Amino acid sequence: MDHLAGPLSALIGELEKLPTVGPKTAARLAFYLLSGSREDAQALADAIVAVKDKIRFCKRCFSLTEGDECSICLDARRDPTLICVVGEAKDVYAVERAMAFNGRYHVLGGLISPMEGIGVGQLHVKELLDRLGPENVKEVIIATNPNAEGESTALYLHRLIEPTGVKVTRLAYGLPIGGELDYADETTLARALEGRRAL
Amino acid sequence: MRVESLELSNFRNYAALRFEPPEGACILVGPNAQGKSNVLEALALLALGKSFRAVRESDLIRFDAPLASVSARVRTRAGGATAGCVITRAGDGARKRFLRNGRSVRYGDFLGSITAVTFVPADLALVTGPASLRRRLLNAALSQLDRSYYHDLSAYVKLIEQKNAFLKSPDAGDRTLLTTYNAQIGQTGARLIGARTNYLRKLAHDARTAHARWVGGHDELEVRYLPSPPQEAQTPDAIRAALDDALARAAPGEIARRMALVGPHRDDIGLNLHGRSLARYGSQGQQRTAVLALKAAEYSLAYASAGEAPLLLLDDVLSELDEQRRHAFLASLAGFEQAFITATHLSDVALDTPHRVIRVQAGELIGDARHAIGA
Ligand SMILES: Nc1ncnc2c1ncn2[C@@H]1O[C@H](COP(=O)(O)OP(=O)(O)O)[C@@H](O)[C@H]1O
Ligand SMILES: [Mg+2]
Ligand SMILES: [Zn+2]
Repeated sequence: MDHLAGPLSALIGELEKLPTVGPKTAARLAFYLLSGSREDAQALADAIVAVKDKIRFCKRCFSLTEGDECSICLDARRDPTLICVVGEAKDVYAVERAMAFNGRYHVLGGLISPMEGIGVGQLHVKELLDRLGPENVKEVIIATNPNAEGESTALYLHRLIEPTGVKVTRLAYGLPIGGELDYADETTLARALEGRRAL
Repeated sequence: MRVESLELSNFRNYAALRFEPPEGACILVGPNAQGKSNVLEALALLALGKSFRAVRESDLIRFDAPLASVSARVRTRAGGATAGCVITRAGDGARKRFLRNGRSVRYGDFLGSITAVTFVPADLALVTGPASLRRRLLNAALSQLDRSYYHDLSAYVKLIEQKNAFLKSPDAGDRTLLTTYNAQIGQTGARLIGARTNYLRKLAHDARTAHARWVGGHDELEVRYLPSPPQEAQTPDAIRAALDDALARAAPGEIARRMALVGPHRDDIGLNLHGRSLARYGSQGQQRTAVLALKAAEYSLAYASAGEAPLLLLDDVLSELDEQRRHAFLASLAGFEQAFITATHLSDVALDTPHRVIRVQAGELIGDARHAIGA
């Protein structure tokens, strides 16, 4: 990229750092931005800086928010006795998209993985336990990823919360809707069988 | 089953290779470091989903190339199919993608496309070497026979890595997390032990039979599964209960030693002759014969389970056997359909069955008609 003007190759370099963006895509994006208006460029730059300056963690659920608490925690129509526990803030948006859950969330900020140096102390586990009594929680739904770390984290939380008398449930493993049975891998099928229910 | 064609692109020292191997035995000869074992490694990659050598996956990609691909057209009783693997450099390592009939599939769904029994020089130490060699035989055989075994094994390996990292971390005192890992290890580990128990019962039978055929009835070869924890349980529930119990009892020791001490990652296979340990008391000849009996049994079980002959991949091992053992071993492999055999000298192999000789030279295969017998 040495033959490119300095600012242009600097922009390509920054874009390349983004996930899923390779050198070709980075160059295409940079040339696209260059061909657009100054206002559009300013709006994009402002939006990027604004998320860094203004977005914080909700002090209750550790989801993302502009104020002290997030809009879900502040929403009086949502059931505070139901907490859905997820690994990352982005998982909140995944569950919200389904529009099937009307409780609040709790974002752990990761999953237990000693290999990566992530212990229970690095996650918002204590904060979750501290919410159970004051918020009069009746059920904790664990929605961590269905991989090894997600499974360990779910089982761990279950063991931790069970003695308090609060009901703990785990998202069911199922078959992808719209998929075909013979496309599902054995593990998914076996889990779906384990989690079967009466019609 | 047989491989009708094999294509390599930027795999090891092969820039581009298209090879239509013959039926029966195919002997790859040539001096060292020409690429003989690399051909077997490519075929084993399609059977096992990984190399038979302990290597970094990125080592499989030809120096300076961005990606390697291996693809084979195979004919099985069920019909024709293609199986492929593409390895791409990613960061410091590599990423693998598996294809079946040209379509991307998950690793677990890919296994079983090709079954192969490999015999490499390291296997010659099956009796005297470390337990990891004997577990490797179990894992390679069972992963090909049973896809759920492969899934359980990868989950189990990950759990043990996490548990070991946890026991070495400052959080090691958290009993709740230890019991969480142990519950998962108990569930997955018990399934591995169950599968290994069944497999070893059959392996022991077939190995004893092959051995008796070679040495006569007087020296009985005894092959025994030595699970960790030691147990005789046969039903899934009993195995699970024994493992859970042993994990609970091992906890103080594991915390003190900061590592996972109990579970099928510590399994072994006991090999006795006349009730005495072959590793400790056997002569070199007796040990070698027992190794061959184990490999012959592995082959016959793969045959029985697939309902057809698996590929046979013999890397530089025939030259290690005296003539009598070599003949006895090959004769015991009830009718292989296709075998790939490497050797530095043709005289080391001396097959009396039909075979074709292919010379291997710096990443190229050169057919040699003068040595073709009945091919
Ligand atoms: N990633 C790679 N790229 C290019 N060449 C390789 C690569 N890995 C191994 N080789 C070469 O392959 C040769 C060894 O091949 P191998 O099949 O093990 O030899 P042999 O014929 O002795 O069995 C060596 O010349 C080695 O340099
Ligand atoms: Mg070799
Ligand atoms: Zn919130």
